[in-house]
Amino acid sequence: MAEESGGERNRTNAFVVSARKRTMQKLAKTAGEGMLFAVAAFVAVIVLFIFYFVARDAIPFFQIRGFSEFFTSTNWYPADQPAQFGALAIIYGSLMVTLGSALIAVPMGVAAAICLSDILPFSIRQYAKPVIEMLAAIPSVAFGFFALVVLAPLLQNNGGPLLMWAWWILVSPFLLLGVIVLSDLLTSNIRVQKRREQLHILYLILFGLLSISLLYKVGTALYGIQILTGTNALNVSIILSFMALPTIVSVSEDALQAVGRDIREGSYALGATRAETILKTILPAASSGILAAVILGIMRALGETMVVWMASGNSSHIPEPWFNYLEAIRTLTATIAGDMGEADQVTGSARFHVLFAMGLLLLVISFISNLISERIVVRQRKILSGQ
Amino acid sequence: MTVDAKDISESAPVQKATRDIYLPPARKKITGGDTTHISAKEFSIYYGEFEAVKRVSADILAKYVTAIIGPSGCGKSTFLRAINRMNDLIPSCHTTGALLFDGEDVYGKFTDEVLLRKKVGMVFQKPNPFPKSIFDNIAYGPRLHGVNDKKKLMEIVERSLRKAAIWDEVCDRLDKNALGLSGGQQQRLCVARTLAVEPEVLLLDEPTSALDPKATAKIEDLIQELRGSYTIMIVTHNMQQASRVSDSTMFFYEGVLVEHASTAQLFTNPKDPMTEDYITGRFS
Amino acid sequence: MNIGTRKILDRSFTAVGIGSIIVMAMALMIVVVPIVTNGIGAVFFTGTIEHRKMLFNEFNRGDSENLSSEAASSNRYRAKVYSMMTGFEAELETMVPEKQAEYKAKYSQVRTSLQALLGPLPGDPEPMLTRSKYGQTRWEKAEEKLHDLLYESKWDNSNPDVMAKEYFVSRAIGFEGTSLVNLFPYVENNLDKILLPEFTCYWGFLTDSSVDSHFFGGIWPEIQGTFFLAIGAMLFAFPLGVVAAVYFTEYAKPGFLNSMLRSANSTLAGVPSIVFGMFGLAFFINTMKVSESKSVIAGALTLAIMILPTIIRSAEEAILAVPKTYREASLSLGSTKWNTIVTVILPAALPGILTGGVISLGRAAGETAPIIFTAAVSVGSAIGLADVFSSPTPALSWNIYNLASEHEAASQIRHVQYGMVLALVSIVLLLNLSAIVLRARVSKKLKG
Repeated sequence: MAEESGGERNRTNAFVVSARKRTMQKLAKTAGEGMLFAVAAFVAVIVLFIFYFVARDAIPFFQIRGFSEFFTSTNWYPADQPAQFGALAIIYGSLMVTLGSALIAVPMGVAAAICLSDILPFSIRQYAKPVIEMLAAIPSVAFGFFALVVLAPLLQNNGGPLLMWAWWILVSPFLLLGVIVLSDLLTSNIRVQKRREQLHILYLILFGLLSISLLYKVGTALYGIQILTGTNALNVSIILSFMALPTIVSVSEDALQAVGRDIREGSYALGATRAETILKTILPAASSGILAAVILGIMRALGETMVVWMASGNSSHIPEPWFNYLEAIRTLTATIAGDMGEADQVTGSARFHVLFAMGLLLLVISFISNLISERIVVRQRKILSGQ
Repeated sequence: MTVDAKDISESAPVQKATRDIYLPPARKKITGGDTTHISAKEFSIYYGEFEAVKRVSADILAKYVTAIIGPSGCGKSTFLRAINRMNDLIPSCHTTGALLFDGEDVYGKFTDEVLLRKKVGMVFQKPNPFPKSIFDNIAYGPRLHGVNDKKKLMEIVERSLRKAAIWDEVCDRLDKNALGLSGGQQQRLCVARTLAVEPEVLLLDEPTSALDPKATAKIEDLIQELRGSYTIMIVTHNMQQASRVSDSTMFFYEGVLVEHASTAQLFTNPKDPMTEDYITGRFS
Repeated sequence: MNIGTRKILDRSFTAVGIGSIIVMAMALMIVVVPIVTNGIGAVFFTGTIEHRKMLFNEFNRGDSENLSSEAASSNRYRAKVYSMMTGFEAELETMVPEKQAEYKAKYSQVRTSLQALLGPLPGDPEPMLTRSKYGQTRWEKAEEKLHDLLYESKWDNSNPDVMAKEYFVSRAIGFEGTSLVNLFPYVENNLDKILLPEFTCYWGFLTDSSVDSHFFGGIWPEIQGTFFLAIGAMLFAFPLGVVAAVYFTEYAKPGFLNSMLRSANSTLAGVPSIVFGMFGLAFFINTMKVSESKSVIAGALTLAIMILPTIIRSAEEAILAVPKTYREASLSLGSTKWNTIVTVILPAALPGILTGGVISLGRAAGETAPIIFTAAVSVGSAIGLADVFSSPTPALSWNIYNLASEHEAASQIRHVQYGMVLALVSIVLLLNLSAIVLRARVSKKLKG
């Protein structure tokens, strides 16, 4: 120790502390972390509470009325004497608008996500993203108001022509594409060039005429349709698809971005066009993530209240025929929102509890689909990271 | 395997063998620098099951510059970061053996890693100033340790910036965001920030790898300035840099300390064939 | 397939993608444009003298001298109308009974239309409802009512295969040969002199209370209620969310418990908003009894639970985006972990955290379903800050629904509904816009 120069090595500011101080430090650290954990666990407690409190008021309904009426009957007369609580038509209505909005939102959303992640240059993407965020931010009641006050009268007064124009604008490009591809495919095996070209033109004319007549026939049929009420499943499906789109776009874009650059370059290097690269290599690699996006988007549509309450017509029957989107329907969420005020809360009647049964049904569906989408995302991440 | 810290602390006086490692022939003599400052005894670092640093034993003398070289992934950075316990940030990381600082076990039961880090400062690969003003960057450490007097802080800031040879460049814009400085200036600012806490040891983890040659030269000059005031350990990829700035050099390979010798000897007359292969560029 | 077709497919694939984005942008426009153009009409419109009378009587606003001179000039033309009516009433007395009955029915329709257009007629009893005390306050509404006065609407049911069609018959023809026939062209030609339309900028729409269930007045109670609910929700959710995010990013160790907590978070994010409302009713009001019945506090708590997952997620992202080097630098200077979080990490992450907070604030302001059972009432005055623990409040989102779907005269107060929607959408979009700008500025700043 002789060489130690005293001032620098003094123990007063050494880093070794007494056992007692160290214990206190550890205790304080554990206590602090415990408090943070308590706050983080608060979320889990809330989830448990939500399940408990919704189930607590839902179970008495099933105790009083059993399960079969709720799930199999379409007679919804909760205010009658005796009351009937058949929710089948209401569940069907929920499924119908959810499916309808998915049919519109999923192809559009996935196409838009592909466009954002692979096609558009960065400068345009910068402006497209805020548009999507804005669409996501608009309150549901504003969408509902739009559906009720703008879209419903439009559908009711000009339904036929609108449907016709929608048919023409949406379908004709795809038919044209189909004609080109089909005639190409049918003639591609013919060796003699001259004959092939002649046949190609023949097919083009033939299929072209066929598709034009199809366009015209269906168009005139649609033109003749009279929409009895503008507040119907179609109206709600369109608006719900607007609301589901942002979720689908942003989550599937994340999934597409997660597919690495090397996969893309590998495909381009083999002489694939951009569309072929995307369809044959990127989409399959990102498919599970996109599925998760679709599930989340659909859940947004299923759980939405204000739009369906304001613009679905709230009539609890299964449309005739069952796929008729031009009739008024009623959904679970709208029933809960609309009937809670009238249901007698104080005496805890079946009419009050049936609404909680519906809430429980929604909660369980959303819980399960959430779990599924979460698993899918985790699995995809594992696959892509090669584990 | 585990060496009792108490026993080792008795051996703090420097053995002849250790002193031989530090024989800087052409450099100025360092006063009061003949004591072991940091000492590893059979010291191993694990990431989970993987042994990243394998039973290293070495003595680092106070106030000299020690360079650590070796190929990527050889454990040199891990060893450096173990000295001020930055590896604690990695949950799976644990150690065996003993690492003594001033004769006290760094990984001992009663070690307060916060007080330890105050004495063992560190500068990282990429300059990492906080997104605050230059003044606040330097004053961050002193404030943490209880200096709040504005005048005193100003003194510390000026002294630290002068020591880090950057005072002249920034003295008129202390209230500007530190992120506006150039990369080399940022790195010297980081050195100044570390000096403001008045550490005894400076750990430099490849401090010039993100800098251009001119900025690198300034940092190397700075290391020469600080030599003799602080015990400096520098991890570097660049063997010329190691030979330029250090008094002794440690060569790591796959977690093993292959050779520890005075820089002059290690680069001119390495004992181990592996060292020779490395410094002659046969692998890297 | 030949290369030409492949290229066509490739191009059309691109077109579909870009088309989808254009459709989304158009959807935004189609929804927002009518809301903005019509909503502005709630503040800027062509007001009539009736509007100025209403403002003067109900809100004590306006220049009384000016108003009385206007009223005098209006009354000159009104007197002519009234005298025509008394003339016809006298003529009616002299008619043969069956003709008298026929004209009386028609005349009462005319009277009703005139009441709607001009307000109470001489000899009418003092109306009970405020809405009946005044004629049309807005010029475009007055023109509609004028049309009602001039034409009778009839339905064509002749073809049973198609829906009945509406068509109009001039009322003047019905009174051919009586003295009343002159009234119609007179009112049509002099309506602007009777109602004195002039451009009006009614900022009071945003700051006034409503009169007679939103027939007149403004939407201040709703705006205030929306702010109370949204800010109340933030007061609960923001600190909790940030602390939870700190735990998840800095302290949580991977393992079963942690993945459970994360699952809980995403489950909470997926719960349908109406279920939050039911939970709020069952838990906060019926079980915890935070208030006797609906109250702002119950609604704010319910909304807080709803936005909590969003806040946690955005705060987590913001904290994770703070470079690891800041953490290392701070620790290597001898800072404790907690100190590092408070002095370095949170300040650096703050803009990102705030961005998430602002977006959540917008979401809380816009949501309806969770407050239906917990906080919202249809009518009511603005509540004081002290009442938030006991009384419910009107809120924009709920009242939009209420006025559009349940109001007894929903189609007559479209301008109020549009004004409310515009107010709500502006609040929400402005919050989002500021979040976007904030984020852009921060990412620029972090890049140096």
